[in-house]
Amino acid sequence: MKDRQAIVVKNTRVADEIWSMTLRFDDLDEIKGAQFLDIKLPDRSKILRRPFCICDFDAAEKTVEVCYAVVGGGTKVLTEAKEGDKLNVLLPLGNGYSPKGKKIMLIGGGMGAAVLPAVVTANPDKEFYAYIGFANAGKVVLEKQLADNCTNVTVATDDGSYGKKGFVTTVAREAYDAIQPDEIFVCGPEVMYRAIKKTFEGVKTPVYVSLEQRMGCGIGACLVCNCKVKRADGEGYVRVCKDGPVFLLDEVVL
Amino acid sequence: MSNLKVNIAGVEFKNPVITASGTFGFGKEYGEFYPLSALGGICTKGLTLKKREGNPPPRVAETYGGMLNSVGLQNPGIEHYLAEDDKRLAKEDVVVIANIAGSTLEDYIAIAERINDSHADMVELNISCPNVKQGGMAFGVLPKNVEEVTRAVKNVCRKPVITKLSPNVSCIADNARAAESGGADAVSLINTLSGMAVNYRTRRPVLANNNGGLSGPCVKPVALKMVWECYNAVKIPIIGLGGITCYTDVLEFMICGARAVQVGTANFSDPTAAYDIAKDLEKYVEENDVDINDLVGTLILN
Repeated sequence: MKDRQAIVVKNTRVADEIWSMTLRFDDLDEIKGAQFLDIKLPDRSKILRRPFCICDFDAAEKTVEVCYAVVGGGTKVLTEAKEGDKLNVLLPLGNGYSPKGKKIMLIGGGMGAAVLPAVVTANPDKEFYAYIGFANAGKVVLEKQLADNCTNVTVATDDGSYGKKGFVTTVAREAYDAIQPDEIFVCGPEVMYRAIKKTFEGVKTPVYVSLEQRMGCGIGACLVCNCKVKRADGEGYVRVCKDGPVFLLDEVVL
Repeated sequence: MSNLKVNIAGVEFKNPVITASGTFGFGKEYGEFYPLSALGGICTKGLTLKKREGNPPPRVAETYGGMLNSVGLQNPGIEHYLAEDDKRLAKEDVVVIANIAGSTLEDYIAIAERINDSHADMVELNISCPNVKQGGMAFGVLPKNVEEVTRAVKNVCRKPVITKLSPNVSCIADNARAAESGGADAVSLINTLSGMAVNYRTRRPVLANNNGGLSGPCVKPVALKMVWECYNAVKIPIIGLGGITCYTDVLEFMICGARAVQVGTANFSDPTAAYDIAKDLEKYVEENDVDINDLVGTLILN
C-alpha cells in the first residue's frame, strides 16, 4: 500500500446526485472486494482525505472506479475533477471481503450498492445473487454493471418507481429460501443493518456487513473511525479503516 | 556548516521533526510508508495506566483548514505498550517520546514510574487533553497545577520530562514558567484548541462528544504566537506544534523559539508528511549552509 498519483480518466454524473469517476494508476496492487481508497482533495481548505469504496476495478487496465453521491463540500469538489487531472490516492485500504462459500447473496442499499461490483469482479469463481435498493427510480445505479457477472440482479425502490416496490432487505429475505446462499454480504446505511438483523433473524447463514464512519488518517493510526463490536473477549472499539470495514453482523453493536 | 541535529535535555535528535502524539499511533502504520529512522523523533499515542476505550463516534469533524477530534485518549494501557510496542520501537533508530496521561496526581506518578522500565528516551506529560472530563486538562489550566503535576512526575521519572501545554488558558507563558519551576526539561505547545462543529439541519454538534480539539493549518498563527511568548518566558527548550504542513512552517516555528517541532494533523492529509518535511529541511540547510539551531528565537519584531 502506497500513496499514488492517479489520473482521472472519466468523471460523470450517472444518476440523481450520483457520480462515477474512473482513475488510472501506473501500478495497482491486488484488490479485494469491499476495500476502499482515500482521495486527497485538490481544495486545501479540506485537509482530510475522502474515503470511498472501490466500486469496481480492471486489473489489466490498472483502473479503479469510484461511484459517489454528492453529499457535501468534499464530494462537490470531486465533481469538478476533469479528465487528465491528477489526484493523490491511497489504496487499497481495509480488510475487504473475500467470500469462502460458493453461492453469495449480495445486498446493497443506496450508495452501499457501490461496493458490490468489485466484490463480484474480485471473485470470478463465485455465484452471486445481487439485491440492490434505492429511494426511487432517479437514484438507481449499477444494475447493468452487476448484471454482467451476477447470476441474478433484482432492483427494489422504496416508492416502487422502478423494479420491485419495497425495502431491499424485505425483497432479499423473500428470495433467500429459494437461493439458500452460503454467505450474505450487505452494504448500506446503519438503519439497514438493523433491518437485516430483524428480517433475517433465525437465519444461520453468516452475514457480513461493510461499515462506514468518518475517518481521519485512513490507515489505522488516529483512532477516530471506530465502531463497537462484541467478541469473545468482550465489547470494545475496533477501527473501521484497518480492522474493517467488513465485519460479521453478529459482532457489530448497532 | 549545515546541521540539522538538535538537542533537547541531553537527547540528540537527527533532525527537529517529531510526530505528534495521537496522530501517529505507535509508529506501526506509518512505518509501512517510510523508515521511522528518517524522523527526529516520534511521540506515542497518549498512554494511561489502564486501557481506555475513548469516546463514542463520530470522533472527527473537518472544519475550514482544520479538524476537530474527540478520540478521548483511547489507548491499550501502559502494560500493553510495554509488552507489545516498546521493544519494537526500541529497535528503530529514532527518539521515542512516551506521552503519558492520567486522571489524578497518583495516576501520573504511577505511570511515570512504569515508564522508567521502558526504552522510551523521553516522557511527554499530557496535561492538556480537552477530550476527557477528568484529568488531562484539569492539570493543564492553572499554573499551580501545572507545576505540581510536573514536579510529582519529575520526582519519580528517570527520563527527561516534557510538559505539553494547553492553549486553552489565560496566559500560556505563565504555565510554561510553572512547568519550568516544577522541573520540566522542556515544554511542548500547543495542544488542540477547544472547539465545536455544528450541523444546522439537526441542530446538533457533529461530534458525539459535542466538543473536540481543533488542529490543522488553521491553528498555526495561534501556535506561533504562543511559542514566541513562551520562548520569552522560559530557558528550557520548546517543542513547537500546531498546523505544521511543510518545511517553511518548521522554520517559522524555530524562528519563534522552538528547538524542535511536532507534525500532527498533516500526517492525515499525507501519510508521508513528516518524512517529506524532514527531507525538505535537510535540503534547506544544505542549500543555505545553515545550522538549524542558529534560527531558534531569531524573530525580529516590527
